[in-house]
Amino acid sequence: MSASQQPPDGQSPDSKLQGRSPDSRKTLRMSYIVASVCGVGFFVMSVLLLAVWPGIVLEKQTQAMSPAHPLDLTPSERRGREIYGREGCAYCHTQQVRYLHSDMTRFGAPTLAWETRFDYPQLWGTRRIGPDLARESGSHSMDWQFTHLYSPRAVAADSVMPPFSAMFDGSPDRPKQDARDLVAYLETLGRDRELAGPEGEAHAREACKCDNDEMTQMAFHAPELNANPRKTRRKGPVPSLLPGDLGRGKALYAHNCASCHGAKGEGDGPGGLAGLHPPPANLAEHFYRYNRLAFALANGIDGTSMPAWRDLSFVDLSALAETVRSFYVEKPEPPVSKEVLDLGARVYKENCAQCHGPEGAGDGTAVSQLQIVPADLRDGRASLELTLRVLRNGVDGTQMAPWTPRLSDAEIEAVARYTRTLLPRQLE
Amino acid sequence: MILNGTGNQVPPTNSPTEETSAHRAAPLVESSLVYAHGLAAIIMLFIAISFGILASIELLLPDITSLPWLTWGRLRYDHTQGILFGWLGNAFLAFLYHAVPVLSGRRVTSVRLGRWLFGIWNFVVVIPGWLLVLAGFSQPLEWAEFPMVVDVFVVLALLLMVIQFLPPFFARGIEDLYVSSWYIIGGLIFTLLAYPMGNFVPELVPGARGAAFSGLWIHDAVGLFVTPLALAIIYYVIPAATGRPIYSHFLSMLGFWLLFFLYPLNGTHHYVFSVIPMNAQLGAITASALLGVDVILVVANLLLSLRGTGWFPQDLPLRFVGTGTVFYLIVSIQGSIQAQMAVNQAVHFSDWVIGHSHLAMVGFATFAAMGGITHAWQRIPWARYNNHAMGFAYWLLAGGMSIMVIGLTIGGLVEAHMWGSNAPWLDAVREARPYWAVRSYSAFLIVLAFFAFLMGLLTGPKGAGLAEIDGAKVFEPEETVGPRLAMGAEEAL
Repeated sequence: MSASQQPPDGQSPDSKLQGRSPDSRKTLRMSYIVASVCGVGFFVMSVLLLAVWPGIVLEKQTQAMSPAHPLDLTPSERRGREIYGREGCAYCHTQQVRYLHSDMTRFGAPTLAWETRFDYPQLWGTRRIGPDLARESGSHSMDWQFTHLYSPRAVAADSVMPPFSAMFDGSPDRPKQDARDLVAYLETLGRDRELAGPEGEAHAREACKCDNDEMTQMAFHAPELNANPRKTRRKGPVPSLLPGDLGRGKALYAHNCASCHGAKGEGDGPGGLAGLHPPPANLAEHFYRYNRLAFALANGIDGTSMPAWRDLSFVDLSALAETVRSFYVEKPEPPVSKEVLDLGARVYKENCAQCHGPEGAGDGTAVSQLQIVPADLRDGRASLELTLRVLRNGVDGTQMAPWTPRLSDAEIEAVARYTRTLLPRQLE
Repeated sequence: MILNGTGNQVPPTNSPTEETSAHRAAPLVESSLVYAHGLAAIIMLFIAISFGILASIELLLPDITSLPWLTWGRLRYDHTQGILFGWLGNAFLAFLYHAVPVLSGRRVTSVRLGRWLFGIWNFVVVIPGWLLVLAGFSQPLEWAEFPMVVDVFVVLALLLMVIQFLPPFFARGIEDLYVSSWYIIGGLIFTLLAYPMGNFVPELVPGARGAAFSGLWIHDAVGLFVTPLALAIIYYVIPAATGRPIYSHFLSMLGFWLLFFLYPLNGTHHYVFSVIPMNAQLGAITASALLGVDVILVVANLLLSLRGTGWFPQDLPLRFVGTGTVFYLIVSIQGSIQAQMAVNQAVHFSDWVIGHSHLAMVGFATFAAMGGITHAWQRIPWARYNNHAMGFAYWLLAGGMSIMVIGLTIGGLVEAHMWGSNAPWLDAVREARPYWAVRSYSAFLIVLAFFAFLMGLLTGPKGAGLAEIDGAKVFEPEETVGPRLAMGAEEAL
């Protein structure tokens, strides 16, 4: 007798049931019909309980808590959103900060319902290979975004993001419309909440009527609205760093810094060569005091592509600072006469002090108008060659203009020598 | 007394004659459609896993290409949609064309409709869907990535499936239905209900509200389409191959209804700790735990029906579905656990979940589908069949998939650990890399497995499948199975 001759259920319901009373068949049929109706009922219930009802609650929340005039997307931003969807960005980057402290310390305030009110369809995502982008707005400079899109590993070593160089005309400086739209869209992520400001938060908290709702309250008790550890700050705490472990620092530098600043700190990493304006600092030609490095590492350099490294520990930051300092080798400089220094001081006062400040502390009267804070000439010192180059050619991407035609060679030389006296020797 | 699917008596015989061969080959079955969908399934499977493998290599070598058509995201879309529609869709259809006539004792509605359905499914849904995604026309919704124009035809195809496969059951009368039939009816009808909700509604309802719908569909795609049809196969193949009734019809029906009551209520567990009202999240988490209980019930019934066949039965369809049953238990218990808040907050967003989905789609659904195709294929009198190659397919797939899932699970735990520390984000990516490499290497074994499977279907002598059945071992003569095992469905009540 072969197994294959069996019907799959190993018996025939037909034959078994034929011998049953009509009553038992009727009961069976009725019970199946009831179960079928219940099955459909449960499906409908699942949609009502888990989608329709939450939708009503979320819509009420949105109406109550949203700022009066949240910014909808512009046509360019909307196109960018479509590109974001088309390329599957949401499959590596979530746009949803969860109501969890671990999410909040990394990415900022948890996502409220009204923040996604213009998202057709939603782009929350369920996988994080890259970081969450719900608070990306204002976290990186435009040229960082373009360079990163063009060649992710140029500015983020070991990133696994695909290169989107097809959206450019051959270099990160020449984005096509697609890249412009996409970056414009990224700049909208979290923008409305940020624009709403403290008043917006207060309004939302009041309208929420959720004093007893511990979870929703978390949205208002986030340490920062945008806690992106890369977000730059113009002002911020300066951790006091100590001489650190050079070996550890070099490993950290290779992972986190070399892609822009170059393996030896000469500002010639792939990111440095790719399209950052201003270019990454040439660390080998700068002497930095610890507090300068501490500020830059903890707060980034606002307006540039230098991100903040707040997520690194004090020990790691100290080690990195030590590494950066190790790139600089002091070179002997020719002696300088008092006349030259006097000339330099005069030229400085007439041309440089508005931005760099009377004492070179980077606190001139024009500072508030400048996107990038002028260099504090007492916190560090560039080599003489670099200083001369900067004076002659300016710094691309900053307000530091070339001085060649406006100042004579002698004046440039004089002011270069003068600025080198601003950092008191005893502070080195 | 042995009966075929129509309830007519078949003379028992020990020597294969032409007449019994025809009976074994199930006379009401339109073998050409079984063959066409079976072959389409495996071809589509190769294409679908090629997308996945390419995507996995791009994670390791991201600068390997910057061609827009081969962007990681687009490949990722095509991988999962290809597995869902191209592979599993075709595999289920191949099985249905074999099983529905046997279970209902009636032919499917129309062979001509079957040809149309084959054409629509493959040449209007899967292939255009893939190409459109690669060309940049898609929707960024999980398990719903094909653009809406394709979704319209998916709904049409689902409707045609209902028309094709359900009338034979209703003609027979629902009180006579075996549990596989229930799973087929449930799977087709509920997928038809759930599909528009996941594919169209989030385009109309924004943000968090849309996500609530998406969450339901993410789970329903697996729970209301893949799971019922894979279980229909398992419930079908076990008694057909062992020659014994299922252990308990009562447990079968209880498991069936609990599954359809509980599965749809799970969806929100994809968005735990989100702004979606906490009560909905808690409800879904509770349903997720209960679902694990239901799966224990279902799997207990299946494993009790399998007892005595050993871990690796000689009958390969039986071995495939038996292994699929064990993976079904593991993946479901894992699912119940990872839906719980304490676990979810750590492993959510990580490769743990990718491991989970591969365990579900390869370990459970693919093993079941391969068992179903093989079982049906063996019964096509004119089809070639190579049992030896099938044996290789089994071991290669079991090995490859286990390595992949274990690698991704550990990788996910490492990522979760890194995210919980204050290490820079990219350090988590660096730590995950070796596990991604393991995944890519294990894919090589899986490719070999599917190649062996293809060989199993296309090489070997014609009619070798039927010969294989004749040589199959009968595990337990029916006379010795206790009267309890022969208990009818109606006694369950």
